[in-house]
Amino acid sequence: MIAQILAVIIFLAMFILIITEVWERHIVTLGCALLTLVVIFGICMHSPSAIIDTLNLKTFFTEAFWHTTGQASESSGGINWETIVFIAGMMIMVEGMAKSGFFRWLCMKIAKMVKYQIIPIFITFMVLSFVLAMFIDSITVILFLAAVTVELSQLLKFNPVPMILSEIFCANLGGSATMCGDPPNIIIGTSLGMSFSDFVTNTGLIAIVCLVAVVIYFYLVFRKELTSNAVTKNPADYPDPSEAITSKGGFVISWIIFLCAVVLLVTHSQTGLTVSCIGVFIALVTLLTAGRDALDLLKKVDYKTLLFFVGLFVVVGGLEKTGILTLLAGFIGTVSGGNLKVMIAIIIWVSAIASAFIDNIPFAATMIPVINSLAATQGIEISILAWALAMGTDIGGSATPIGASANVVGIATAAKSGHMIKWGRYCKSMAPATILVILISMVMIYVRYLP
Amino acid sequence: MKQLIISIGREFGSAGHEIAERLAKRYGLPLYDHNLLDEVAASHNMDSQELQEYDEMKHNKFLYRSINGMSSSPADNVANMQFNFLLDKAEKGQSFVIVGRCSETILKDYEGLVSVFIIGDMESKVARVQHLYGKSEKEAERFIREKDRKRKKYHDSRCKSKWSDSHTYDLSLNSSKLGLEGSVDFLADYIDRRMKGTK
Repeated sequence: MIAQILAVIIFLAMFILIITEVWERHIVTLGCALLTLVVIFGICMHSPSAIIDTLNLKTFFTEAFWHTTGQASESSGGINWETIVFIAGMMIMVEGMAKSGFFRWLCMKIAKMVKYQIIPIFITFMVLSFVLAMFIDSITVILFLAAVTVELSQLLKFNPVPMILSEIFCANLGGSATMCGDPPNIIIGTSLGMSFSDFVTNTGLIAIVCLVAVVIYFYLVFRKELTSNAVTKNPADYPDPSEAITSKGGFVISWIIFLCAVVLLVTHSQTGLTVSCIGVFIALVTLLTAGRDALDLLKKVDYKTLLFFVGLFVVVGGLEKTGILTLLAGFIGTVSGGNLKVMIAIIIWVSAIASAFIDNIPFAATMIPVINSLAATQGIEISILAWALAMGTDIGGSATPIGASANVVGIATAAKSGHMIKWGRYCKSMAPATILVILISMVMIYVRYLP
Repeated sequence: MKQLIISIGREFGSAGHEIAERLAKRYGLPLYDHNLLDEVAASHNMDSQELQEYDEMKHNKFLYRSINGMSSSPADNVANMQFNFLLDKAEKGQSFVIVGRCSETILKDYEGLVSVFIIGDMESKVARVQHLYGKSEKEAERFIREKDRKRKKYHDSRCKSKWSDSHTYDLSLNSSKLGLEGSVDFLADYIDRRMKGTK
């Protein structure tokens, strides 16, 4: 009982400290992780095995960490090293791509293809944001897309805010479409033994339908704001996309590595390669081809985020081992009266509302054992609950300026050019879009998976 | 001409702003204070009114988030715009006087920076605020404490150094002891000696 209370206190303290930003978030999760290991597992539970299980270091030495044969197996709980190794690999690849000028070139090329017309740029950038975020973290996607949007807005004399807001939304939506698009999906996928194609054929399909809806929605909402005040310029005056490329060799290699990563991810259920194996492979290839820049790329890896994940998984492990999450699952089961429709509605809406205000990564990591337990006790297909959880956590973050990392990056980029996006301005268009997408997702889950 | 950047931090009512104005006049330098936002806004073709409400404000931690040094808070973003503006001026070798805005920390790498913090006795500050704002003694004292609390929060949420701590500045001066003119003369003497020492 004491262990349970302490686990909840540590968990809540972690959330509050993350929100208040008193210390950097990786310091918070690592500190709370240490407390979990020492106080809960050590002093309260006297359980060295709980510590060993939660640290989960043995997973590196299992074949399943690198290669699976046939049906993928579920992860054993504790630190989800598969997620951490994959994210580290993707970070290195993305750094390499950014260094070569890949993203800026892509944005400029598309703007040029649509002849620098504002509405076509608006629509194609939404789609580009969605597609890139399927494979690359949304922070990087928005970092480049929003910067190019600001640059184009100065050139074509339009307000960049509507475009940046719709790009943010589509980046978060694109992240929901694949297993590697958003950290909650990677955690859900690796924890529950799902494949890339499982996500694409389920959340991916929902996300594409939602993309069509939000493109129409944002067009209707923003079309009046997206008018140009510029005198028509000679196309020769616009920037040449090729100027964005810093190194031609690096640029070509970036494309090849990116396409390899996409192919490996799409086919990983057939090849049996796990996402951690793919992460290590693309990181090694990026570093080997980077030559002298390899050390620079390694230095730029966001180690703080990786450490944040390590600490987070230990704290959630504390909740799991003390049985708190089973209790929470039992509570959801009771409230819903065993009705699957109600359960899905609770999971998707609670996830969305929570993710609108708090970090969706700790939330998803906490909810996975909950839906696991719920599926086991109520005899429900776990994947249905997983899709509801993925859509809720991935999309909910779009509703408020603090809901997701991409939102913060987009707002900060707009601010650099003097466009302040306040809560009211943000939520006025983004909250209805979030509600619309969550509704579509819920209806699609009902129609497709419920008898 | 050697670069000279005079950074003036100040307690509310200590006449720090007026000292900054007089120093700017004496050295023939532009003065940046709240007018900095007009300059920043002009450089972005925007209305400075939109930025004014976030000037020297601290954000509410529950309403905003930051990621890798980027923030969703307008107050943070307005502050960063001002910092970048000052850094740009300093990088170009320009000389100026700047009041507040964490300038003693933001510009600390520039050799031409002279940072000063102006304090004052509470009675003198109250008298000055009463005179300038037509407030009662109690109101003036409350006003001073509230303003200083906000300035401290603004500064300390953005800098590792502490607002009003003598370690943060080259010099801390109580303007009540020497008076306005005396303080300006004393500071000018200090600045001249410092300038002789710089390359």
